[in-house]
Amino acid sequence: MSTTRRRVVATAAVTLTGALLLASCGSSDSGSPDGGTLKLWHYEGPDSAMGVAWNEAIKEFERTHPGVKVKFEEKGFEQIQKTAPMVLNSNDAPDLMEYNKGNATAGLLSKQGLLTDLTAEAAKRGWDKKLSAGVRTTSQYDTNGVMGSGKWYGVPNYAEYTMVFYNKDLFKKYGVAEPTTLDQLTAAMDTFVSKGITPLADAGAEYVAQQYLYQLALSRADRSWVDRYELYKGRTDFHDAAWTYAATTFADWVKKGYISKKSTSLKAEDAGVSFIQGKSPILFSGSWWYGRFQAESKFDWGTFLWPGSNLTLGSGGNLWVVPKGARNKDLAYDFIDITMSRKIQNLLGNKGGVPVGADTAAITDPKAKTLIADFNTLSGKDGLAFYPDWPVAGFYDVLVSETQKLITGSEKPDAYLSALQTAYDKGAPKT
Amino acid sequence: MTATVERGGQVVRRHHGRAAHPRRPRSSYALFLLPGVLAFLAVVVVPFLMNTGVSFTDWQGVGSPKWSGLANYRELMDDSEFWASFRHSLFMVVAMAAVPTALGLVLAAALFDFVGKHFGTRIAAVLRACFYLPQVLPIAVAGIVWSWILAPDNGSLNALLKAVGLGSLQQDWLGDPDLALYSVMGVMVWVQIGFPLVVFMAGLQRVDPQLYEAAELDGAGWWRRFAHITLPQIRPEIYVVLLWCTIAALKVFGAVYVLTKGGPGGATDVPSYFSFTTFFEKTQVGYGAAISTVLTVIILVLALVGLKFQTRAEDAEEGLRA
Repeated sequence: MSTTRRRVVATAAVTLTGALLLASCGSSDSGSPDGGTLKLWHYEGPDSAMGVAWNEAIKEFERTHPGVKVKFEEKGFEQIQKTAPMVLNSNDAPDLMEYNKGNATAGLLSKQGLLTDLTAEAAKRGWDKKLSAGVRTTSQYDTNGVMGSGKWYGVPNYAEYTMVFYNKDLFKKYGVAEPTTLDQLTAAMDTFVSKGITPLADAGAEYVAQQYLYQLALSRADRSWVDRYELYKGRTDFHDAAWTYAATTFADWVKKGYISKKSTSLKAEDAGVSFIQGKSPILFSGSWWYGRFQAESKFDWGTFLWPGSNLTLGSGGNLWVVPKGARNKDLAYDFIDITMSRKIQNLLGNKGGVPVGADTAAITDPKAKTLIADFNTLSGKDGLAFYPDWPVAGFYDVLVSETQKLITGSEKPDAYLSALQTAYDKGAPKT
Repeated sequence: MTATVERGGQVVRRHHGRAAHPRRPRSSYALFLLPGVLAFLAVVVVPFLMNTGVSFTDWQGVGSPKWSGLANYRELMDDSEFWASFRHSLFMVVAMAAVPTALGLVLAAALFDFVGKHFGTRIAAVLRACFYLPQVLPIAVAGIVWSWILAPDNGSLNALLKAVGLGSLQQDWLGDPDLALYSVMGVMVWVQIGFPLVVFMAGLQRVDPQLYEAAELDGAGWWRRFAHITLPQIRPEIYVVLLWCTIAALKVFGAVYVLTKGGPGGATDVPSYFSFTTFFEKTQVGYGAAISTVLTVIILVLALVGLKFQTRAEDAEEGLRA
């Protein structure tokens, strides 16, 4: 090859490679506000209550904003969860994004200045009036990224809470009445065990097991206990009466056969399917199962709140957040406003979601009515106690791992609580 | 040097040494290396150096990293979870390198020597493809299928044991902390076995059949032929497979993620999964970077030692031939 020709090829190779590298490293989609496009990301399944409602909101937005196009990108929960900080630091940030609530997620991003302060907008558009205190907690974050006070960085348009799902047909078959007290629930579980049926659907490899435990603790707790644990308003002692009761009762329930030892490796999906298939008569879990059970269960089922407890797991749903670098913030606020409208909230309610601003008269489905009525009861008594994994980043994995040991019996309740204490103290901000 | 070997009526010429073609100046080839070198720098060297840099900071993944010196590495030294995950890695080396290599050798020799000769090469090829199938399946798919098979209540393994009257052997394969690691190892043997098998079968193709014929005439049985001809002849392939599989075992992630998520109670945690949760769940990006840096260095050292070992053995063999 001649020297000149070789030089040309070399230059071409370097240029091409350089271009490829640049393309892989940087963004090509930078620019100024265009006002003609709303770039929107969310991760709700298209058939879920939220997915249906947000799709309708997109149509409504395009109808009320002629000339503006919604560029919706469907993302996965993990995708947004794991890459949000990088995306929000780049020029590719959307105008509006669904994001998980809590200190380690929205709180962390707000602390780093990656989210837009929505306080003025929330007051101007009346979002602050529409959300109850329990739901609003996850919208506001202080300068340390701790939820419950400070500026508004996100807006939830729905809520979620846990309840006891029970198989009415199986209860009837074994002559068990719907329990209204914890003693009756325990007696019902004894009956099922005596018939060779494990009463509680459980999943040790995911959130289900830790939610039983937290609910047991909540049944012996009050708001100040939750505030200490979740909002760091005072010291959390895992060897206090509530946590000790929860851990010992849970271990006892495994021994008694209410919870299967073999549930250690099961995922939440397994627990849900076990209920849907009529193998487990009881599942304690969240409102996110409601639509699925309605669609897939072939038996009569009902729900009730955990007996004898003022508090249960629950919160506002995922948040709409506006990235700091969003180009079309006003359009994003308009879209949030539409999702808060009666029309969209009623649709959400009728599809099995828990709306935060629906007209109860417009909810026609009887099961959806019960779901919303129970939520209103909870909300009215300030009963949403969030989730056990929220206070410390990575606490979810600790809870899964330690609760698995409690199920297999390889760890005693006291050691279990000590392990939680160590992980919590290591991760929680010093009070 | 050129050797001529008669194989099945065909004459195969082999060239040893590099004297066959006139040598071109090295600089003319350097140009072809440039894109590869640049890509290597961009996707391997630079990210590795960045990761190493991050490992000296106390960073949550957003905002400005705070320099923390060797704090992450000091914490790592005392982190029992990290060392436990490394112990599990050694088990994975057994499951993903040692066992598949040993089994792969025997199976390859059996397919090549016995099945190929008695049932035809087509049947041997089909069986080889069957063994290789798990390598083609995405690990997420294989993991989900295995989690169904190993499910405690309605899993097919327990159902099978019950059906054949071995109900007493039913286990919570992935949920029992004493069993879970061995269950994952079993799945990994199944996943890995095809790779050594295919490499060894390819290696066997180049073994001079006259060696086997001569040994057979001398009265050597299958096992002696395997031990004294097959094993020494495909030693380079064995090195490559062992090295490749050991590295794969040290960085195994997908199977653990899908099957057990490191559980129950950390019984199947491995360094790459530990690093992943530290990065993304605990958002301790600096600490997670320290874990991956240590893991990379260990893999690099092992790879270099393995390559050195392989080169030395190959040189020794060349020396013997010459």
